[in-house]
Amino acid sequence: MTAIPAMPRLVRAELFKFRTTPGPWVCVAVAVLLTGLGITTSFLLARNGVVHFTAPTTTTQLRRLMGAGYTAAIVMAPVLGVLCITTEYRHRILTATLLLHPRRPDVLVAKVLGSAIWGLFMGIASFVMVAAMGIPLLSAEGGSVSDFLHQVGPVVPGMLAAFILLAVYGMGIGTLVRNQIAGVILALGLSLVLEPIVVAIFSSLEHIDVNFLPTRATQAIAGSVAARGVGGASGTVGALLSWWLGAVALVLWGLGTTVIGYFTNFRRDVT
Amino acid sequence: MTVADGAVRGATIEVKGLTKRFGSVTAVDDLSFTVKPGRITGFLGPNGAGKTTTLRILLDLATPTSGSCSIGGLRYRDIPDPARRVGAVLEATNFHPSRRARAHLQMMAIEAGLDSSRIDAVLALVGLTADARRKVGGYSLGMRQRLQLAGALLGDPSVLVLDEPSNGLDPQGIAWLRDLLRHLASEGRTILVSSHLLAEMAQTVDDVVIVSRGQLRAQGPLSILTSQSQSSMRVRTPELDRLSAVARGAGYVPRPLGDDTVLVDGVTPEALGPLIASNGIVVYELVQVSQNLESLFLELTTSMTPHEQPPEMVPR
Repeated sequence: MTAIPAMPRLVRAELFKFRTTPGPWVCVAVAVLLTGLGITTSFLLARNGVVHFTAPTTTTQLRRLMGAGYTAAIVMAPVLGVLCITTEYRHRILTATLLLHPRRPDVLVAKVLGSAIWGLFMGIASFVMVAAMGIPLLSAEGGSVSDFLHQVGPVVPGMLAAFILLAVYGMGIGTLVRNQIAGVILALGLSLVLEPIVVAIFSSLEHIDVNFLPTRATQAIAGSVAARGVGGASGTVGALLSWWLGAVALVLWGLGTTVIGYFTNFRRDVT
Repeated sequence: MTVADGAVRGATIEVKGLTKRFGSVTAVDDLSFTVKPGRITGFLGPNGAGKTTTLRILLDLATPTSGSCSIGGLRYRDIPDPARRVGAVLEATNFHPSRRARAHLQMMAIEAGLDSSRIDAVLALVGLTADARRKVGGYSLGMRQRLQLAGALLGDPSVLVLDEPSNGLDPQGIAWLRDLLRHLASEGRTILVSSHLLAEMAQTVDDVVIVSRGQLRAQGPLSILTSQSQSSMRVRTPELDRLSAVARGAGYVPRPLGDDTVLVDGVTPEALGPLIASNGIVVYELVQVSQNLESLFLELTTSMTPHEQPPEMVPR
């Protein structure tokens, strides 16, 4: 039998591990539900001071509908990444993993790639929801499906990149803390609580845009969708990075936390 | 038997000057021993003796403070395709409870690049075929142990490192495991197995490595160790204190076993009988205790100070 190179089989194993446990599926399901919520709110538009359930018509509104999974990306993609590594610690599967492949850097790289692929899958599931729910609703409300589909190019690549990079960022957080519950709380707390506070403080006191933080970097990648989207509560302060600088920042957050986690945790004795 | 037919070349396990400290606690203290192919070596010691720590270092799951371990001359991390060469059972908790047993083995096969056709073979070997599609969370401890063994055998390895593999197994399971290990050793594989079930080990192992407080106490073939070890006499007497004092005065070590019974180590009937008679001590019973693994183990692992040197029972 021809030996399969280590990295492809390690990545395959990571994907298989995710596929055969309920946690990642629950994350994807919640992401799809949040996307559905985002789709619904995209149809709630104010006209003459009154909110109506009506079809989005402007480019901005249509992009917001196309990127209805933005909140799902911000909230669930990091949690997915956290689960990727902390499940190994929680159920002591890491022992079996390292017995089969004792070179730990390889294992961690495979987990980064595995979480990225699952992040992509979550993003695709979110867009499937957008298509399955958004297009019929748009048609029913008399909106232009053609104009809507013109937003695929400007929105989808950035949003998928956000799902991928946020999952990797979550993986990095999980590598740092090892404890699953602490990892989930930290991932959500940083994005939803701490980061908006830091952004607001720096913006009001120093007039400095701390736009390299993970959520702000995600907004840069997702562009106008994020800044005005359902997750835009923290996204309207100050200027954003360019999309590619946002991507670089998010890559650095993901890889940085992973590398620090490797040296502080992953190399430690497995007991 | 579904493991590969024909002779399998095992590899020698070598532990050299191994020391592992956790802060101020020394778990393993300058430990050295060798495990040879084609034999079952029992790795024995009381709780906290450093057995599991040693095995984890051997398998590169922990780093030693000093010293080294090798399998076939290589550190575990340097062994190409380790799952094809070394199978390990460490504890019966390394499973995701929601994953099905077959999926667990499939995950291992993918990760190690093994042929998944072996999965059914090892499931049959450990008697889990009928339960293969159940979630591991619903497994008993014995079933988890069997699944661990299935995982260890998945790559048809020539070296097996097993930490308490009989934990949770019922008597039939223990007998099955004994036969399996015997068969695997007869094929030339190297088998290192730790256990606290001394009676079971006595029936299974060819060689023993006995450790206590992280130090080597004895190593060698079980038959030679038990024959070379000192004999003991069990004495039942109403004059326990007098007998103990007389024995102690003659340089022997009395150990009370009850209100009227004492075990005197390091003495033969020919030596103790006249001593008792000359002191006029009443004796109800005088029995020579034949040395077995359990008495050898107790002799080597009890009443020791941390600074005692291991006895040179056999040349190492």
